[in-house]
Amino acid sequence: MEMTGEEAIDLQLQQQQFWWQKHDEQQVALYATLGVFLVTLFVVFSVYLAAIRRKKSDTILIVGLSGSGKTVLYYQLRDGSTHEGTVTSMQPNEDRFVLHSELEKKGKLRAVHVVDVPGHARLRPKLDEFLRQAQGIIFMVDALDFMPNIRPTAEYLFEVLSKPLVVKKKIPVLLVCNKMDKVTAHSMDFIRKQLEKEIDKLRTTQSSISEADLSSGVFLGTQGEAFKFTQCTNKLTVVESSALTGKISEVEQFIRSYVKP
Amino acid sequence: MLEQLLIFTRGGLVLWTCRELGNALKGSPIDALIRSCLLEERAGDEAFQYDAPGAAYTLKWTFHNECGLVFVAVYQRILHLLYVDELLNMVKREFSGVYNPKRTSYYDFDDTFRQLSKAAEARADEFRRTKQAMLADTRKKGIDPKSKSDKAQKKGSKSSKKTNGKEAGKDGDSDEDDEGNGNSVRSANGKVGGGSSHDSGVTRKVSVENNGGSGNSSDEAAGKKASEIAFNVDKLQKLRKGAKKGSSVVVKAPKEELGKKVKKNRVWGEAAPPSKLDFTDPSDEQGEAKVAILENRGKSLMDNEEEEKFSESEFEEDADGEGNNGKPAAKKMGWFSSIFQSVAGKSALEKTDLEPSLKALKERLMTKNVAEEIAEKLCESVAVSLIGKKLGSFTRVASTVQAAMEDALLRILTPKRSIDILRDVQSAKEQGRPYVIVFVGVNGVGKSTNLAKVAYWLLQHEVSVMMAACDTFRSGAVEQLRTHARRLQIPIFERGYEKDPAIVAKEAIREAMQTKQDVVLVDTAGRMQDNEPLMRALSKLINLNKPDLVLFVGEALVGNDAVDQLTKFNQKLADLSATGSQQLIDGILLTKFDTIDDKVGAALSMVYISGAPVMFVGCGQTYTDLKKLNVKSIIKSLLK
Repeated sequence: MEMTGEEAIDLQLQQQQFWWQKHDEQQVALYATLGVFLVTLFVVFSVYLAAIRRKKSDTILIVGLSGSGKTVLYYQLRDGSTHEGTVTSMQPNEDRFVLHSELEKKGKLRAVHVVDVPGHARLRPKLDEFLRQAQGIIFMVDALDFMPNIRPTAEYLFEVLSKPLVVKKKIPVLLVCNKMDKVTAHSMDFIRKQLEKEIDKLRTTQSSISEADLSSGVFLGTQGEAFKFTQCTNKLTVVESSALTGKISEVEQFIRSYVKP
Repeated sequence: MLEQLLIFTRGGLVLWTCRELGNALKGSPIDALIRSCLLEERAGDEAFQYDAPGAAYTLKWTFHNECGLVFVAVYQRILHLLYVDELLNMVKREFSGVYNPKRTSYYDFDDTFRQLSKAAEARADEFRRTKQAMLADTRKKGIDPKSKSDKAQKKGSKSSKKTNGKEAGKDGDSDEDDEGNGNSVRSANGKVGGGSSHDSGVTRKVSVENNGGSGNSSDEAAGKKASEIAFNVDKLQKLRKGAKKGSSVVVKAPKEELGKKVKKNRVWGEAAPPSKLDFTDPSDEQGEAKVAILENRGKSLMDNEEEEKFSESEFEEDADGEGNNGKPAAKKMGWFSSIFQSVAGKSALEKTDLEPSLKALKERLMTKNVAEEIAEKLCESVAVSLIGKKLGSFTRVASTVQAAMEDALLRILTPKRSIDILRDVQSAKEQGRPYVIVFVGVNGVGKSTNLAKVAYWLLQHEVSVMMAACDTFRSGAVEQLRTHARRLQIPIFERGYEKDPAIVAKEAIREAMQTKQDVVLVDTAGRMQDNEPLMRALSKLINLNKPDLVLFVGEALVGNDAVDQLTKFNQKLADLSATGSQQLIDGILLTKFDTIDDKVGAALSMVYISGAPVMFVGCGQTYTDLKKLNVKSIIKSLLK
């Protein structure tokens, strides 16, 4: 039977409405799933970003020659004691913790991420893995056995200071003269002067075999003048400490100043 | 009785040491073990020998790779304790049950250890008793006298250790008498009888005894070497007493041998042979005009900075702050997979799992021209560090093994100490003496050519160089160096042919000191590592002149012979050196690097076997073709 015009239009409208309803439901369902998906993605992403940002801002690296006391310092910072002693590290010690001396403090305690990089020459490349996240570098120097090791110490310090990342991000360096509890340990000023002299010499010889990309203009200090630590663009301070006996207050100050609560 | 047993983490914290065995260890054996064995990728070795003034220890170790723990037992070398390996394994099992990464004190482990050690000792005693009973039976039958063979075994092991060069020269005189007795006893017994009676039972004991057994068999040949070493020690002592008299005695010895083997000139046809074949004209004025002075060829390739393109991209990523995708992403994956693991329950890696991928890796290394022995030792070391590790569920065994091998290769090829020659030259200059470099190596590896390249590089850094022509054997060697010297316009010290190279070198250094040269480059004749008189002459040169750097020149084309060359060179230098001043090979110069495409394995073999870093790489035949070793590219080509 033929449908009248109105009925046909009605039918069409009805069909359209029906179609719209169906489409609406589908759309709602579609939008709902899309929305949930986006929300989860957002949550995950923000957690992830927060994780990175937290990592990025409070990693402190402890570097230095083998035997300078890095692992001892690490455990002092974490546990307040050196337990049974240490041996040469074969892999990095890494942990996120609240400084032991701060545990008694009231209020919000923020954890720091400290990495103790092995000092053995064969494990040098490990430093590069952690350098990206570094916010501060603690360079340990053995003040007791300083003179026999002055060249390797100066070379390592020079290498660290000339790394492109360190120069670009102006990572602050704390030079710690360790083992000050011993009577025959050299003084802070003596160590600083000797290292400055050595690095001055290294600037000329190493410029031909350094790994730093010279086109980025990494020449430590100022040309023509004797090298001084104050010439570095990143801040470099020298302190004394004795990791074995626990006199590490200046080190802790450094860590706290660069880890903002 | 054990001296000490330690448990420490890979990160360096000591977790537990036995309180009862309270003896303080003399020296620092643990640090020495870590530095010269575990970090040198020799973790697959059986034991480590450590000598300190007043003590001689043997160290044995085992790893627990999942927890990252190392278990080390130290005992006196003269005791041959059988139960150490068993004890270590038992301790490992018990301790991993108690271990908690958060805990740092394990005092309660003392009791467990006491029980374990008592059990192990009891078992070892029982075993020894049964073995003695067995041997008593065989003795009744009268097959072979055990006591004599035992003494021979001990001497065998002592002498095998001696040929390793560890106690070079110190026990020289006292051991000579023992060698004499041991030789006669051994020849009476024969090697088979002595070895088989100890073959039953504990595998470790077999390996120790096998050292003694093989020491027996090689001692027939080594006996001769021992007597020659004895001969030479006497000569060295004479040398120390009277310099002039001594040197004349020692100089005579190689000359006598040369005199005995003088070659007769070949006769071609009927023409009478010429009496003298050396046409060198000492005062050759015309020669100078003919040799073209070298014009500046440009910068030596040594001064090329490494092109680290990826470091540029790292800058941009870090500036945005989102470049840390690498590590956090991996960590997230690890967290996820560890959850999955805890649900699925993956088992730890076993040796059988690692075997196929390790074998494939070893084959791959060998196709890249790594010596077979080295590839074997490396794979063992990687296996030891991976056994017991739990795999991430989305990682295959092959990729874990590859990553571990890459790590190990990076560790081996990274130099132990700085290789800044210019700085060394500067410090020698401050002390007012010239810096002496001696080039040694077998025949035809490119010593003279690369000596000229090194001279060119040094000249570009405003260092005054002098060459010393101490190759007084090969025809044309002095002229070759003279040509190089004239082209580079540097002084050369030469004394012609058939002179004692040690004396020539000494005079060259003296002249360099007088004329205030910064560096002296000493060229020596090529010699095979088995040639006893030539090796003795070389060590005499090195002992007499005490150079700052002994550079071993090796070609990249060498295969398995690299291992033999370097071990024998080092051994001879150690054995024949004056007591107290042992000077081994300090650096390696790798030549003919441009002739190999990616078969770069010779570099790895040489560095592994000698422990010396590669200071220069010769990659061509012109003056500028000298560069540094690029560790990352070598690893990439080795593992491609």
